[in-house]
Amino acid sequence: MKTITLESTLPRVFVNERIPASDVWQRRIEFERGKSYLVEATSGGGKSSMCSFIFGARTDYEGRILFDGRDSRDLQMGEWLSLRRTSLAYLPQELSLFAELSAFENIKLKNQLTDHIPEERIEEWLDRLGISSRRNYPAGRMSIGQQQRVAIIRSICQPFDFILLDEPVSHLDAVNNRVAASLIVEEAARQGAAIISTSVGNHLDLDYDFRLKL
Amino acid sequence: MISKILRKNTSLAQIIGFVLSNFIGLVIVLGGLQFYLDARSIWEDSDSIINSDYLVVNKKVTSSNMLGQSESGFTEAEIADLERQPWVRKVGRFSANDYRVTARVEQGGRGMSTYMFFESIPDEFVDVPKSQWAYQPGSDEVPIILSKDYLTLYNFGFATSAGLPQLSEGLMGSIPLSLRLTSEDGSRVREMHGRVAGFSNRLNTILVPRSFMEETNLTLGTGSGRAASRLIIDVSSPGDVAINRYLESHDWEVAGDKSASSAAFMLRVVVGIVLGIGTVITILSLFILLLSISLIMERNRKKLHQLLMLGYEAGRVARPYSMLAVGIPAAGLLLSVGAMFGLRSYYLLPIEGLGAHPASVWLSLLVGIGLTLVVIGVNLITIRRRIRSAFR
Repeated sequence: MKTITLESTLPRVFVNERIPASDVWQRRIEFERGKSYLVEATSGGGKSSMCSFIFGARTDYEGRILFDGRDSRDLQMGEWLSLRRTSLAYLPQELSLFAELSAFENIKLKNQLTDHIPEERIEEWLDRLGISSRRNYPAGRMSIGQQQRVAIIRSICQPFDFILLDEPVSHLDAVNNRVAASLIVEEAARQGAAIISTSVGNHLDLDYDFRLKL
Repeated sequence: MISKILRKNTSLAQIIGFVLSNFIGLVIVLGGLQFYLDARSIWEDSDSIINSDYLVVNKKVTSSNMLGQSESGFTEAEIADLERQPWVRKVGRFSANDYRVTARVEQGGRGMSTYMFFESIPDEFVDVPKSQWAYQPGSDEVPIILSKDYLTLYNFGFATSAGLPQLSEGLMGSIPLSLRLTSEDGSRVREMHGRVAGFSNRLNTILVPRSFMEETNLTLGTGSGRAASRLIIDVSSPGDVAINRYLESHDWEVAGDKSASSAAFMLRVVVGIVLGIGTVITILSLFILLLSISLIMERNRKKLHQLLMLGYEAGRVARPYSMLAVGIPAAGLLLSVGAMFGLRSYYLLPIEGLGAHPASVWLSLLVGIGLTLVVIGVNLITIRRRIRSAFR
């Protein structure tokens, strides 16, 4: 997939409300492979909704979202699932880790779908993000910051053209933020993929090609 | 790992409970059905020659017709009235030979000869393949259907007392039977062979094809036609009370054991009730299983959603549930088929003593497999729907 286009897109809850000027809602905006985007918003501005719309988890929006020109509403469940394995990566704000699985099992659950990343590399990433000691710890008993790091690693354990990161570093310190950013940029660059990251303040520390106000 | 995530809400006790309820339902259905099929032959002996919807009626033998004061045959008016009854599909007349018949059997150098008689009914009432029941005009071989009672009389009465070997139906069919047909005045004689084409226990007679009867009565008979003393009736529903009432009011009686058909009827009613109960239990157990799988999936809805968000295929996510949905009914089926065979070996010997011929188990197996497939199908469709609803 080369482009994701939002055409006059607007969450349905906003339809009868006055919304402040936005670079995304009710406009035409094109996300391109290989570029990086920061979507900044205030709380309640709909950034998680935007990610869910693009990722196909929700459809309660007006307008259209096009994948290489094809309306994503026309995609069947099977096509969505295939895109999620090989083309669209997503780090949801709520992380969606399985509490009963260990950190490593959570990552493996994603990686075993495509066997995209060799296990040594995953171990190396855990080490770089400072959570290798929590490798076999149930995710449910880790701190939010640790869970966030596990989820970051999980999100890049697949081939992708676009990676959606919904407030990926909201609970990380500046050092871990930089490490996380470098991991993501490395993987995205390796695959020539686009990064779309959202933030309400503490944003993923990298040089964005575009900054959009939601 | 998927099973670890999704199986959390299922316990072994639950699974055993489902298998058990499924098993109980199916055992009742299969056991009841198989017992019916096996036991049925006691009453409705597989008379392949005369359909069970046919009744053979005759006038009661009374002292007046014994002395020849009244006619024991049916008059044309009586037959016409019978044909008008709503429960009558068609009526056939028995016709008898108008000449003398002697039969001779040669066996191991010992001969045995006896006077006998023939009767015939319209060929459409005889369920024997045309090729076996055909008589070529002028041919010297004629097919014969004997009453099974004669074979029983010979085997258990005559043969044992006379020191002769007992004969099976198959063997009897292969023994050459020499027939000598003589006209009343002895002027015309015809020699032929009889070939036993089958045995019937609903007809107490010696049956030959109608065409043979007509030919021989014409060539050997006196030409004085006699009224039919017996009728064969094709009835639309053999259990109809109107039939009994009609026959009683005319003082006619039905040949063969009537109590057998009412016992068969009772068997059918009882089996119907048992099968009904079994089916209800099977459906209930299906419903409970379906409900439980739905409930587990509803409880795991969020996890299902998360797995789909990771890009797991619907079939892969459904697998832990599909395995339950397929495995439980399949295990129930295997157990109940095993139990059915067990049950069968327990009752088969006693009912064979009562004269039953064990039926094939295929119908019961097919019913069991069919029911199980329906259960599995409904389960899988439900699971598929649940997965779809967890997608968004």
